Parts: sequence; structure tokens; C-alpha cells
Amino acid sequence: MDTFAALSQGLMVALQPMNLVFAFFGVMLGTAVGVLPGIGPALTVALLLPITFKLDPAGSLIMFAGIYYGGMYGGSTASILLNTPGESSSIVTALEGNKMARAGRGGPALATAAIGSFVAGTIATVGLALIAPTIVDIAISFGPEDYFALMILAFTTVSAAFGSSVTRGLTSLFIGLSLGLVGIDLQSGQARISFGVPDLLDGVEVTTLAVALFAIGETLSVAAAGSRAEEVIEPVKGSVFMNKEDWKRSWWPWIRGTFLGFPIGAMPAGGAEIPTFLSYALEKRLCKKPDEFGNGAIEGVAGPEAANNAAAAGVLVPLLTLGLPTSATAAIMLAGFQQYGLNPGPLLFATNPDLVWGLIASLFIANIMLLILNLPLVGMWVRLLAIPRPWLYGGILVFATLGTLGANPSLVELGMLVIFGLLGYVLRRYDYPIAPVVVGLILGPLAEQQLRRALAISVGDPMVLFQTPIALTLYALAALALFGPLLFYLITGRKAPVGGDED
Amino acid sequence: MTKMLRGAVVAAALASCIPFVSAHAEVTELKIMAPAAPGGGWDQTARSMQHVLQTDKLVSNVQVLNVPGAGGTIGLAQFVNASKADPHALIVGGYVMVGAIITNKSPVTLSQVTPIARLTGEFEAIAVPANSPLKSMADLVAALKADPAKVSWAGGSAGGTDHIAAGLILKAIGGDPKKLNYIAFSGGGESLASILGGKVTVGISSLSEFDAQAKAGKLRILGVSGAQRLPEAPDVPTFKESGVDVEIQNWRMVAAAPGITPEQKKELSGLVEKMAKSKAWTDMLKQKGWADTYLAGEAFDKQLAIDIANTTTVLKEIGLAQ
Amino acid sequence: MSDPNPLTTGSKPDKARFVIALALAVLAAVIGWEAWRLAQIPSYSSVGPAAFPTLIAIGLGLLAIANAVEAMKGMDEERPRDEPKPIFWVLAGLVGQIVLLPFLGFSIATGWLFAATAKGFGRGPIWAHFLAGTAICFIIYLVFAKGLQLSLPAGPLERLI
Repeated sequence: MDTFAALSQGLMVALQPMNLVFAFFGVMLGTAVGVLPGIGPALTVALLLPITFKLDPAGSLIMFAGIYYGGMYGGSTASILLNTPGESSSIVTALEGNKMARAGRGGPALATAAIGSFVAGTIATVGLALIAPTIVDIAISFGPEDYFALMILAFTTVSAAFGSSVTRGLTSLFIGLSLGLVGIDLQSGQARISFGVPDLLDGVEVTTLAVALFAIGETLSVAAAGSRAEEVIEPVKGSVFMNKEDWKRSWWPWIRGTFLGFPIGAMPAGGAEIPTFLSYALEKRLCKKPDEFGNGAIEGVAGPEAANNAAAAGVLVPLLTLGLPTSATAAIMLAGFQQYGLNPGPLLFATNPDLVWGLIASLFIANIMLLILNLPLVGMWVRLLAIPRPWLYGGILVFATLGTLGANPSLVELGMLVIFGLLGYVLRRYDYPIAPVVVGLILGPLAEQQLRRALAISVGDPMVLFQTPIALTLYALAALALFGPLLFYLITGRKAPVGGDED
Repeated sequence: MTKMLRGAVVAAALASCIPFVSAHAEVTELKIMAPAAPGGGWDQTARSMQHVLQTDKLVSNVQVLNVPGAGGTIGLAQFVNASKADPHALIVGGYVMVGAIITNKSPVTLSQVTPIARLTGEFEAIAVPANSPLKSMADLVAALKADPAKVSWAGGSAGGTDHIAAGLILKAIGGDPKKLNYIAFSGGGESLASILGGKVTVGISSLSEFDAQAKAGKLRILGVSGAQRLPEAPDVPTFKESGVDVEIQNWRMVAAAPGITPEQKKELSGLVEKMAKSKAWTDMLKQKGWADTYLAGEAFDKQLAIDIANTTTVLKEIGLAQ
Repeated sequence: MSDPNPLTTGSKPDKARFVIALALAVLAAVIGWEAWRLAQIPSYSSVGPAAFPTLIAIGLGLLAIANAVEAMKGMDEERPRDEPKPIFWVLAGLVGQIVLLPFLGFSIATGWLFAATAKGFGRGPIWAHFLAGTAICFIIYLVFAKGLQLSLPAGPLERLI
């Protein structure tokens, strides 16, 4: 009951007119920068820190919360409409979302993303308010060997979900893994595959690769098709909003995405990308029309979108309960707290309850505000696709390079954008799937670091990998995903009707 | 494909030769390069300087330019090439850059800029979970002497201040720094989680990372790397008090462009000194939890040379540099 | 997304996939060589920086073989011809932007990118698109460089303000 009293106290703080203005401003700003690939909430909050210095702590933290959620939302809008994933966690959204947009179903895709984000954000924020201390204990108990098992699970489920040809899928994945090697090795400090070019020492930026492969690669292949690709994009076919079937097909993916995203987001090394991969793979398995995957399945938007928003709330669990910043944005938020002399940590809930609960309450407000602001705009957003093709693609390239330059004003970064764009074109031309390249780049380095950490801690004893119950459970799931499709279908056969009967 | 690659390399060369921002002629302007992405320590230092210089009306127009990458060496290279003899250009840097220049074999070094002053510093601390059997530095030293491989250290990236400090400690007690079992984490949160979760033996990082956890009784701080005990943790002994002769700080400095005249250097030094002594600056430091370790002129040049020499030695001994 | 199946064994070998297989083999060699170099550097940890590159190089080598084998089986369907000219224009836009950026700043360089891309998609005249693109990019520059303090490359146009 205490929690509810504290939360309603927080709502009182967040609902003050001035704080509502801050939340509104944050949400708008967050959406605007979230749309740009490469420029995310972390960068925006960092740039605003000195400016907000004079505001009162509650107001500016509420604004940061708005930017955070707004940024997630803007990222998915860009993914769906322009195929330029604004954040690494909205890459998966682009897979099905952009296909839907091209088929005149951009409206339902945006709507399921918005409502899914709202549902996930709300459930996850409730989770943050109620069970944060419990969740964080479990999250802390994850060691490097458990994370390694989680990566293995992600690898197996994801590679089972992408593409129909094993050789082609693995080829793409290994190209991504190779790119993941570039840069300074975290454990040994040695430069790898960098050829003495200093700009390569920090490795390949995920958003640069994703934008290049998706947006630039596609621009090149559409241009190359020339007169062949005469089809005009019809922004709206059928209803602008979700029809009854869309609702039915979105509901369970939202819930499942939330329950993948929140706990993994709360893990110190979990991140927001892995739950989106897992959600995509899971929805593909559970979908009654698996052929639609790859051609615009709404489940492939609903699940990952819910997962990434739930993960965004999950990241706040270790931040608020322990003062652990586990993502770039959280690190900046921590700097924001410190700017006001607040030290997030185990004592923050006790020493500054009004502020913490004000922040949690403002997350609710930001969520509702995003929904109210964005749903009516869906119709307007999809009209973007009606722009004549030369201008649309010209605009997409301007956008892609602007985002890359804003995040890192380096010509080498732009050079990489062009090279990876060509790679994307070649892969498309010869029917190699694109997504595994990005998956390899994200998961490869994570898996390597966690494995090496685990082995270093155990002084080289490989048995450490199979000693914790968490790791064993995750390996069992991975084995199930890999070798037990039959078994899996038996389970899904039983589960699917439950999902269908609901609603 | 190789042609494209060569194109990129040529573009890289171009990028480093040509300034993005041209030189100014007026005295009222200053541009500070933060060789890191927005949000990090160097960026915050640059933006704090911007804030204080402008609010105290020492300089009317201050711009901050972020050039992230490779421990600051990309920004440093661009600064040296683009700002030659520009009396209105400053760059923020720090101890991490010293290590990065050595490990990345950077062609541009700190000897090519004109150091102005050391501004702030953060001291390192060693922490263990509250239920750890290690109660003091003496316990840690005993464990290290027994078998250094069994003591795993969590800290920041390899070759950074945390890694160097751990190497110095092992060396100071007569161990072989090559046997250091150092586990690098990419973010403070991840490494802190592994310490709290008892996955590693000890954690090493700046004191501010551990402070809140220690106050809440979840971590125990064994020692700090200052010359004296620190005001934030008056009960924690220094390494030296515990018989480990290591003193290290993760300092941040500001430097000017290469090739400026002695008069220009004097003018900039005066400006930075005025800023560093201002009330706005001390308030800013207090709020960010940074120690004021201001050091300028010859004393700083000397200290810088010592730091570079020591770092080179220890990085070689850890096996990170040849 | 089509799987080469044994039904098409009669058709001609797929040249493009041979080239891809070759490229993979080269990549495997580069990474393998890098792994060998890294393995020479003494390091205390049991799994050093060379282990993963080694695995990836082996994987790439096997995939090069697998792709070559599938290439032998031939294509399952003829690929439509791609037109080189539009690709040239889009690439000219992207590369031109990189070349122009340091001298002429964000607006002009990105204006060129817009014009060249539009040209690639068959919409001219290029000068009109260039002017319009530059104007729009200048507004974008103002919003981001002044409003959000992002450091975007400035040129003669940007220095006017």
C-alpha cells in the first residue's frame, strides 16, 4: 500500500502544470531526434544537460524521461516508414514494419508500434514501481557465464528465424561477426582488423551499419531496378488504423514482448537489442501464418516494439535501485542526477522518494502523452510515402548522412556508410538476408567478451560455463530452439488457440 | 572493394588535414575540443569550462566541438593538424589519453600540444562486496601474493586508468604485472554489477563509482589512491598507509594548440587560471564530485613527463605496449 | 530468398556466387592472418584476442566452400539485369558529399547528395534540385547546429550566420 501512496504522491508532482510542459517538451524533442539515425536520447540528454542546469531537478528529470521514451518511439517511426532504424533497438522493427509500409499498411504498423509501446511501457513501469528490488536481485545474480548462455540462446533462435537458406543466412551472419571484430579488443587492448586506421579503433557503429545496409542498400537496388520497379507506393491500402484482425494478432505479441523486454532490460548487460531479437524469433515461431514473416507480418512489429520499450523501462531498474547505469542513456541520466547533487544508489528511494516517484509517475505521463500525440498523426506520417520516389530516396539519404554526421562528424564514418551501402546492395542483389549481418555485429562482440570474462574469472576452467542453473536453463532453451522444432510446434499447437481465443 | 577502401583511407587523410572550423581572428572567441562523445568526462569538463567562462564573462563566445574516438587520439590528431598556431583553440584531455597514445601507437602525442594546466582529478578506489573475506588492503596483498591469478579485478577497458592502477599495485608488492587477472567491462554499471554480485574478487574504479554503494553498506572500500585520505571517504586508508606504494589520479587537463607564441600561451594560461580560481568553477567541481587538482606551468610539465614515463613502463609490464 | 535445389542442376554455374565465395575466402584469409598476428602477442589470459578471429576465419572458409558448391549447382532463376547508370548517380552523390563536405560545409555537400540521388531516380534538372536541396539542408543545419549544439561541418554558407 505504501507504494501506491508514494506513487500517487509522485503523480501529484508529475501532474503539476509546469512539469506537464516539461514532459511535453521532452516527448516532442525525443521523438524528433529519435527519428534521426545515430542521434538518440543519450546524445540529446547529454547536449541538454548544461542548458537544463538552471531548471529544478524534478522538471528536468521529467523532461529527460520524456526524451527517453520519445526517442524510442521516434526510432520506430523512422524504421517503419523510411527503413532507417533510428536506434539499434528498432532495427528489428524495420524488418516487418517497412515491408508493411510498402504494402500500404504503414498505418497499422505505426499504430501497433505506438499502442504496443504504450502497453509495454505501462506494464513495465508498473513493474518498475512494484517489483524493482526483487528483479534487480535476480539481474545482479547473472554472471558472465549466464550472459554467454543468453547470447547462445539469442544466436540459435535468431538464426533459425532469418532466411530460408542455411548457407546464405550463415554467410550474412559471419560477415556481421567479422565486422564485430574490428577495433580495440576490450579485454586485451589489442587493435584487431584495423589496419592502422585510428577511426577503426572504436569498431563499427551498429546504427551506421544498419542504416547503410537497410536504407542505402535499398536505395541503390531500387535505383538499379530503374524502369523495372515502376510500382508506386500507395501509402494507404485498406484502413489507416488497425482493423479487428490486426488487434487480434498484436495483443499477445505485445504481452510476450513486454515479458521478454523488461527482465532482460533490467540485467546489467542485457540491453534492449537482445529482447527484440528474441521476440521476433518467438513471434515467427508462434505465428499461424509464418509465410507472412519477411513480407510484413504485424506480429513482427508488435512484439519487438513492445520488447524494446519494456527494456527501456527495465534499464531504469538497476539505475534507480542500485545507481547502476547500464546503457548510454542511463549513464547520462545518472550524470543528470549528479548535477543536482543526488546520488542514485541503494539509498535514493529512501532519501529522495518524491523525486524517484515523480520520475516513475512521469514515465506514465510520457507514455500517455506519446500515445495521444502520435495516434492522430499516423495518418499524416504515412503520407510521407506518397512523396515522389526521387525526392523520397533523396530525402532518405540526406537523413541517413545527417544522423551519422551528427553522432560522429568524421568522413571515415561516412565512407563506411557508403561501403556498407554497397555491401547491402550486393547482398540484396544475390538474395542474401540482411538482418543476420546486424545481428552478428551486435551479438558477436557481446558473446566473445562474456565468454572470455567467464573463463578469466575461472582461471581457464571451461566447466564454469555449465555450472549455474541459469546458464543450464538457457542452454536447454537454445537446444530446444535448435533441435526441437517438432516439439516446439507441439507446444505452440497447444498455445496458439489460447492466444486466438482472447479478445 | 579495395578501391573503395583506399578511397576511405584517402578521405580519412583529408579529414585529418582539413579543419572543419576555420580560424578566428578575434580575442573574444574560444573553441574547446572534447575528444569524446557528448556525456563523458572530457565532454563534461569542456562544457563546464564553457559554462564558467561564459557566465563569468571571461570569454564571450565559447564553442565545444566533439570529436570522439580511440581514447581521444582521433581528436588529438585532428587538433594538432587543424589548429596549428591558433591562439583560440583548446583541447581537453586526461590521463586516459596518455595510455591510449601508447597502446594505440598514436602518431600524434601530447608533446605536440602546448599543455596549459591540470584542472581536476578523480582518485581510484578498490572495493569488495560487503560479505567478502577480504577486510583490508593487507588481506588483498596476502591474496595477491598467494596467487595473483586467483584475484580477479573488475574495471574499465584494458589499458585505462583502472587497469594501470591494478598493474601498479601488483608491481608494488613485488608481483609480476603480467599475471594480473584483469576483467575489462565497457561500462561502469556492468562492472559494478559484477562486483555487487560477487562474480569478481575486487573492483577498481574511481571512488565516485563506489561511494553510494559503500554508504549503503553493500560494498567495502579497501583503499584509495590519493596522497592523503579523501574528504568523501575519511575512514578509508590510502594505499600508501597500507604499505602499497601506489599513488595515481585520473586527471583531466586542458592544452592549447601547437606553435603558439609564448605571449599567447601566457594569455591562455592566465585565462584558465582565472577560471579555475573562480567561485563558479569550484561550485561546479563540488557538484560533479571532482577534486580540484589544479596544477600549471613548469610543475605541470614536470608531472606530465613523470606520468607518461611511469605509464609507459607499466603498460609494457602488463604486456599492452611493446 | 530462394533455395537452390537439385532440380536446377542442369543450368549454368552461377558466376556471381563464385565471386562471392572468392570474396569470403579472401576475408577468411585476412582474418586468419590477423588471428595469427594476434596469437604471437603474449597474453596471460587463457582465451586471448586471437581465439574468436580464428573461429570466424574457419567459419568463413567453410562458407566460401559451401557458396562455391551452391554456385556450381547453378541459378534457379535468371536475375533481372540491373541498370548501372542510376547506381552511378547515387554513388556519385554519396562520394561527392564526402569530398565536398570539408571544403563547402554541410548544406552544399548534402544538397549535392540530394540532387544526384534525384537524378539517379530520373528526376532533373540537377541544378534546380541542387539549389533546393542546399536551401533545405541549410535550414536543417540551423536547427541542429544552433538549436541542439551539434557540431556539423561548416562551410562558407554556414559561416555567414
